[in-house]
Formats: sequence, structure tokens, C-alpha cells
Amino acid sequence: MKKIGDAKILLTFLFCSPFIFCHNAFAYLDPGTGSYILQVTLAVLFGALFMIKTFWENVKTFFRALFSKKGK
Amino acid sequence: MMRTLWNKIKEPGSFRDPAGFLFYREGSICRQINQVYKENYEHLMNSGLYAELAKDGLLIPHEETDIADAVNSDKAHQVIRPEKISFISYPYEWCFSQLKDAALATLTIQKRAFAHGMSLKDASAYNIQFRKGRPILIDTLSFERYQEGSPWAAYRQFCQHFLAPLVLMAFTDIRLGQLLRVHIDGIPLDLASRLLPSKTRLRFALLSHIHLHAKSQKYFAGKRVRTAERKISHASMLGLIDNLEGAVRKLKWQPGGTEWDAYYEDTNYSAESLDEKENLVANFLEQSDPKSVWDLGANTGRFSRIASEKGIPTLSFDIDPACVERNYLEVVGKKESHLLPLLLDLTNPSPGMGWNHQERSSLRDRGPADTMLALALIHHLAISNNVPLERLADFFASLCCSLIIEFVPKEDSQVQRLLFSREDVFPNYTQEAFEDAFKVCFTIRDRVKIPNTQRTLYLMKKNPSEK
Repeated sequence: MKKIGDAKILLTFLFCSPFIFCHNAFAYLDPGTGSYILQVTLAVLFGALFMIKTFWENVKTFFRALFSKKGK
Repeated sequence: MMRTLWNKIKEPGSFRDPAGFLFYREGSICRQINQVYKENYEHLMNSGLYAELAKDGLLIPHEETDIADAVNSDKAHQVIRPEKISFISYPYEWCFSQLKDAALATLTIQKRAFAHGMSLKDASAYNIQFRKGRPILIDTLSFERYQEGSPWAAYRQFCQHFLAPLVLMAFTDIRLGQLLRVHIDGIPLDLASRLLPSKTRLRFALLSHIHLHAKSQKYFAGKRVRTAERKISHASMLGLIDNLEGAVRKLKWQPGGTEWDAYYEDTNYSAESLDEKENLVANFLEQSDPKSVWDLGANTGRFSRIASEKGIPTLSFDIDPACVERNYLEVVGKKESHLLPLLLDLTNPSPGMGWNHQERSSLRDRGPADTMLALALIHHLAISNNVPLERLADFFASLCCSLIIEFVPKEDSQVQRLLFSREDVFPNYTQEAFEDAFKVCFTIRDRVKIPNTQRTLYLMKKNPSEK
């Protein structure tokens, strides 16, 4: 089951990658190419999550400051 | 062979980076910075990054010296003299939390570098060392100016050197940290992926950075592919580092259940005898007045602390990852700055490894210690591992100048336990034979019977004829 799950994620990722990547490069059994492509793909997702997290932290800080002022 | 230039000796493990290299000069360590690295070095120094990292104990402080000190003055831009680390240790000698703290330090440095317009161009675990009990980056040339939109060049290396071994230690078996000794550039991700249990695929960060990463490497290896025109945004880079940091922070390993973990609760010493032994060790240490101490078979470091608490740089070696872990956590908890716990199998100590056997030094090449402690150890080496007493004396003499060693006779209940399941083929394991064997390399300065035990503590000094 896990192998099918992994394969689906990888297929989706590999299907999307040609639309994301444009420049030519050559990879001769170099693990760096796979790392590069994965990193660029993951960074988009993790960047979005990071922005949501930062926004949420700001909201929490704002309300904490607001209530602590009221408390005073 | 090391290349000698007058009084300058190039460090044999420092040759890959065209930006510069390490060399030794009159007992101090220097780093030549080549002209190709000039722009990056100046940005590191002028942007405030160096000052910030050095102040917070994350980057080794250095002073700039005369350019005339350079080994190749035609290529050199600058020569710096970094603060010397008293003992260089390697990731395969670290416990779980040491590797985890080193990983987190690397990510913190990357975030700080990014805020100053720089990025780590490598994330080698060998660039981190322990100074005053905490991890610190020792490679000043690891930084490069960040090119807007470019990915993190050290991402793969970080996953191989830090994340993969940590995940394997946490989820599969703590002993898999030793794979770092075989794979000098970090654990291959396809191997890590195969060895990890299925549940690691349920953690999205591990699924991404280990399992999919391995599959992606395999899929694209040998293929002509099209790479990015679209760059990684600032937020995406921060998101990637933040995700890696979260993944590392969540990894936990609980020490326990190993052979030596409850050693102090399972000895034939009474509390009073242990206290007496501590006093005797302290007295012998005072007599030998060492500048450095190595404690072999240190368990959780009870006796190592007699030395480290006097301000003597002390290494506390043990074979058991749980003991080293507990010892390190105590170092961190009590903010101890003179004790470094390390993992070591004395029957197979760290060898010289890497290119030309010289990139990573053997344990012996990183010695000798002024004084070595070998307490409640000799019976394990002589009886459990069948090492003759003469060879033990030879081995200790190659690692230290003075030796504080405890002889545990055959009548001792701990030795009887070792002999319970094996034939007694050790007729020469006697106190007399022990003294005769060690007298070849050492002079016995003092011997004291440990009260309420059958054991004897010796203070020995290496004979001048021994190398």
C-alpha cells in the first residue's frame, strides 16, 4: 500500500515538473539533479505553509498584545 | 603525506575547497583564504554576519594575520588564525543529541546567513565541532553570497549528513549512526529510505526530505532534464529551512535499555567504596597535574567530572550510545564547558579515513592525552575481548603520557560474571602478570587498594623510551 501511495505522489510531482522547469541541464548519474528538482518543488509548498504560519503568529501576537493592554 | 613548506604544514583533510585551506604554523592553526573567495569573505566580515555568529558562539572566532604567512602568496587574499579547538571529533563519535544539536546549529547559521544576504554552500557535519560543550561551525569559508532565487546548494548534504542519520537513529536503531563511518559524505538517501519503517512516510517532512528525495535522485540520475528558470523565492527558502528545522526538532530518542545504561546501579561497589575511589582518582590526578584527560569506558562520566570540574579539558569515551547520550545531556543541562562525551569502541577505535587515509584522523593521531583514566575497564578488554595484557599496555602507552588504571582481579564478582559463560583461558590474568606487562611501557608511581573491594588503583608514568 505504502509503495502505491508513494508512487502516486512521485507521479504527480514528476508530471508537474516539466511545466515548472525550463532550462536545459545534464545529469550524469548525479544525485544533485534530483535533489535540485525536489528542493525547488518542495520550497513552493513549504514557502506557502511558512507564510501562513508567519501570518498566524502575527495574528496571535496582535491579540496577545491587545489583551495584555486591556488587562493593564 | 603532509606537504611541508618551511615551518608550514598543510592540513591533509583540507583540500577540496578552492576558496582556501588550513595549515599549521608554529603550533597554531591558520587558514589561507584565496583571492577567488575575496568577495565572499569581505561580505561575511562587513555585513555583520561574522560578528553576530562569533558573538553567539555559532562560528569560530578568528584574527587576521599577516598575508606574508600565506602558503601560496600569489593566490592568497588573506590569512586568518581561527581559535583552536582542543579536540576534533567526528559525527560517528557523537550521540544522538550531539548530532541533533549540530543539525540545529547548522540551520540556525543558514537562517542568519540568509538574513545577511549569504548562504551556506556546504552543510557538512564535519564542519561542526564542540567547543565549551556546544556545537560551533569551524569552516569560515562555508559562506557564499546568496544569489537571489537560487536554491540552497547544501540541501542534499544536509539531508545526508544530518537528517538521514538522525531519522535512522530515532526510528530504526540507534546504532545506525555508525553508518556515517562507512559513508563519509553522509548516508545515501536511498539506503536511509530502505532502512526506515513505514511510519516515517506518515510524517510529511520525512516523506519529502528522505523518501521522495531518494526517489527523485534515482529518477533523475543519468537523465537529461530541464531545470528551473523559475527561482526559489525568499519566502520559499525560509519555508524550506523552517520545515527542516521542525523535522529535526521533532526527532526524539530516549536512552535506555542498553547494556551499560544502568551500570552504576549494577556494580559490586558500595556507595562508600565509590566515594573512596573518587577520592583516590582525584588524588592521582592531582599528582599527575594533566593539561588534558581522556576517560576510557567512562559510562555517564562520573569520574571524568573529577577532572573536568577542575577546568581540565576532558574527553569521556564510552561504547554505549545511551551512556554517551545521558552524559551529553548532563553537560548541556549543567552548562559544563570542559567535558566532551564521545562514542568509542575501544576494540575498534576510529581509524584514519577518507582520501589517502588522511581526511579524518584516527583516535591515536588526535592524541596523546596527558593523563588517561582506565577505570573498571581492563577486565572487559582482557577477558571479554581476549586482548593480552602486553598489548593493552602497548595500546594505552600509544594514547597517553600518564595512566590511572584500575586492576580488577579474577576473584572480583564482576570478572566472575564475565567468566560465567566462557571457558577460563586466561591463566595469565593475575595482578603480578598485569604489573609485569605494564612495566615494559610504564613506571608504576603509586598503587592503592580500593577500600572494601579486591581492586587496586595504579598511577603510572610512560617510560621515556616509549614513543
